[in-house]
Amino acid sequence: MRLALWMYEGTAHHGVGRIANSMQKVHAVFHAPQGDDYVNPIFTMLERTPAFPQMTTSVVSGRDLAQGTIRLPETLRQVEAKLHPDLIIVCASCSTILLQEDLEVVAANAHTQAEVLVYDANPYRMAEVLSADGLFTQLTKRYARPQPLTARPSVNIIGPASLGFHVRTDLICLRRIMQTLGVQVNVIAPLGASLADMARLPAAWLNIAPYRELGRKAAVYLEEQFGTPALYDAPIGVQPTLAWLRRLVEMLNDVGARVDGPAVDLPPLTAFSLDGMSAPSGVPWFARTADMDSFSSKNAFVFGDATHTVGIVKFLHDELGMDIAGAGTYLAHEAGWVAEQLVGYLPPTADQESPTADRTAHGQPSSVGGLLVTDRFQDVAARIAELQPSLVCGTQMERHSCRKLDIPCIVIAPPTHIENHLLGYRPMLGFDGADVIADEVYTTTTLGLEKHLIDLFGDAGLEYEENGGQEIGQDTPALDTPPSQENAVASGALPHPLTPKAQTPTWTPDAQAMLKKVPFFVRGRVQRNVEKYATEQGVSDITVDVLQAAKEALGG
Amino acid sequence: MSAIQKEDGLYHSFCGLTCVGWLYQKIKDSFFLILGTHTCAHLLQNALGVMIFARPRFGVALLEENDLSKPQPELEALIDEIRADHKPSVIFLLSSCTPEVMKVEFDGLARHLSRPDLPVLFVPASGLDYTFSQAEDSVLQALLPFCPPASPDDRRVVFLGSVNDAIADDFALEAARLGIPVAGFLPATHFHELPPIGPGTVLAPLQPYLSKVATRLARDRGATLLNSLFPFGPDGTRAFWEDLARLFGLNVDLREREAQAWSRLATHTELLRGKRVFFTADTLMELPLARFLKAAGCEIVECSSPYIHKKFHARELAALEGVPVFEQPNFDRQLRTIAATQPDLVISTLGTTNPLIGQGVVAKWSTEFAFMPIHGWAGAGTLVGMFTKALRRHAKLDPLDDPVWSAGLMPGAIPLVSNRS
Ligand code: SF4
Repeated sequence: MRLALWMYEGTAHHGVGRIANSMQKVHAVFHAPQGDDYVNPIFTMLERTPAFPQMTTSVVSGRDLAQGTIRLPETLRQVEAKLHPDLIIVCASCSTILLQEDLEVVAANAHTQAEVLVYDANPYRMAEVLSADGLFTQLTKRYARPQPLTARPSVNIIGPASLGFHVRTDLICLRRIMQTLGVQVNVIAPLGASLADMARLPAAWLNIAPYRELGRKAAVYLEEQFGTPALYDAPIGVQPTLAWLRRLVEMLNDVGARVDGPAVDLPPLTAFSLDGMSAPSGVPWFARTADMDSFSSKNAFVFGDATHTVGIVKFLHDELGMDIAGAGTYLAHEAGWVAEQLVGYLPPTADQESPTADRTAHGQPSSVGGLLVTDRFQDVAARIAELQPSLVCGTQMERHSCRKLDIPCIVIAPPTHIENHLLGYRPMLGFDGADVIADEVYTTTTLGLEKHLIDLFGDAGLEYEENGGQEIGQDTPALDTPPSQENAVASGALPHPLTPKAQTPTWTPDAQAMLKKVPFFVRGRVQRNVEKYATEQGVSDITVDVLQAAKEALGG
Repeated sequence: MSAIQKEDGLYHSFCGLTCVGWLYQKIKDSFFLILGTHTCAHLLQNALGVMIFARPRFGVALLEENDLSKPQPELEALIDEIRADHKPSVIFLLSSCTPEVMKVEFDGLARHLSRPDLPVLFVPASGLDYTFSQAEDSVLQALLPFCPPASPDDRRVVFLGSVNDAIADDFALEAARLGIPVAGFLPATHFHELPPIGPGTVLAPLQPYLSKVATRLARDRGATLLNSLFPFGPDGTRAFWEDLARLFGLNVDLREREAQAWSRLATHTELLRGKRVFFTADTLMELPLARFLKAAGCEIVECSSPYIHKKFHARELAALEGVPVFEQPNFDRQLRTIAATQPDLVISTLGTTNPLIGQGVVAKWSTEFAFMPIHGWAGAGTLVGMFTKALRRHAKLDPLDDPVWSAGLMPGAIPLVSNRS
């Protein structure tokens, strides 16, 4: 048994709620104790939905268990009377699944007009991602109907869902692209889809399923069953977007040729820019400006789900010219795919010998082709501490770990956080997404002339406050909970640093004074590097001379 | 006394595990170990947003599939890990739904894990039986064996319920000012500082969700339970201190003090006068909060609470005479009542507040009241401000009379119905 402090993925029932809440007139009913209703505020507070999320907890209490009462039929009737959904999805929780009740029979007793689907999501075998994807695939199989293709070239956009990572703005970006190409969007699912829309899925010429985590299996089914070709890549970065666009046009025209429909032409690239007259992305030129030379010495560690981890590693390496210090994912079931995608991108590591994906459920991090595979944030923090990269692209948890390690970090993957639901246009996909990510990298790391000035003068002339202005202690809780003194106490009580407990050398006062001249935001790193150097050299006291020698050896 | 109407309990709230969020910070040398599942861990990280602090003094001993078939969970190694990492003086072992269903024998398990220098105390908290703040009652009951006995002539007060240190200081000072001797607080800031309790002890509950531990102490140790209002707002605080003083044979008259306190709140109470307020159910603090608002001139349209204890809450219920009071309410019915009665302010749970606002209602998080220093004379300003803040801010903004602004992201969103235009 292990101690869990923070989970990358939500539970199976959260996955079900995400699908139900994405769709029109679909409602989830959780046969669960009252506390499992906690998923509800995740929607209303992060997405700030002005409506009640489409999910209801049919409360199971200790007394109900003792008396053998089961309230599910009554809840189903209440939900039906109030909301008249077309479909109600019922699922059990981690505790009620052990009761081995036949929920099919129980639900049938409710005699609702609405269809009731009992979704068998075993919370001990699947978490949020597999549960949501499994349910969506099941709905696709259940509702998609054979039918003629649309007259004009069209696509389905499959995968955006409630509480997805920047999906709302990804969707804006994809729709803009389709508009520019003159391609009709047939159905977007699950976000915004009704059951009638699900039925219409096979009318599209092509499926776009950019997320590994949600929608790919449904697209595979549609391909097998209805022959709808699918584009499975995620257009993250400029070149991948270009390649994706060309492929999209080609695939549509293949269909067009088959059905004798209109052709799609790729317009000049300027047509894809927001102003209609410049390059669709600033990244290619930006990456080549003199300012960006310092990127060549910067390395990044990337950790997240499958789609974003792969997309970001390639983007940083191929388009910004950065080195990749390492990468990883918390999705054990996708580890093989991620590793395969990243062949040639990851530096060889000592533990590369295990070539297959091990299950990580029992807390042991495993390694697949140099990829870190774990769902324990402590493993990730330890890896970052060991690698000391100049940039981390991770989840909210890595952002948190990096504050303590003094390493710049940007958030590129779910789970979503209140800060991933900002109002502005911040897609991850397409040309616009490339611009957004590059800006984020640029503003997060110290670069260019600024870096030289800092190297040359230390913090002289740079008016940074030692403690003020930093984000430490202003941690926004996952659901911005009410401000309280209690929280202030918690943020003050920072956990121990994650550095290994080696014998650390001591600093002489002179050397310490010199260290103080290093700007505070890199001081921690310099200190650790010098200590590491001293330890390697077998020196126990760090004097001014040792510090100088270290600086020389480490290249300043 | 108001008649209590009982419904089917289909409302939104959290389970007992939530109390960990404030108790681990209150009892500084404690560790809260939840025997639970991924669900419980996900609840804590989302409901409280505190797990993001990478090494809080609580965690979930994660039951995974292969643990389900084991007769008794093996927690020894985890306890050793916690002992080494955190050096706590006490570990609270909280139950959750899955092990309850598995019929884990928690009492025995806790006893088995206990060491003389590190007791492991069982705390029933599962969502099958406990809601929100209720599990604090379980934590305090678990602590009782460690409250030393007090002799019958030890006539002092023990304040019941976790409040932050600043509020605790206020109460200790105020007691001294009135000549009331103080034995301490349950819970105390450290495990070894628990107050002695005996037949001479007077128990003064600061929080309205501690009926079980209070009645148990009265029964097992012969302590006297203060039967008064809870110390929220000038009215509640005055009644609390006057009644408490009386149990010590002291006759204090705080009329003047109460009047001064109200006059300091005048700008707020002017705004509140005549406002119609509705409490859904959440933290179990609803009765005293509604009573305070009633005293401040509000009309309480409905006051619902997860659980009501007729005796423990007797004075609050008496003060709410004429107000519709519900226990275990049904949220859908509440929505219909809200639509029919159009209250000026609805106090509701974390998950329901935004959608209520989306329906054109001014609504405020009930959860916030569980985290704010709102007790006693010093807390009255904070307390009243929490109610008026939402009213003031919404008054400053234009009415949202075009549904386009709240159409929102989710396709299922019910368009806003403005009740102001
Ligand atoms: S309701 Fe039960 S299973 Fe759900 S979080 Fe609370 S204790 Fe865990």
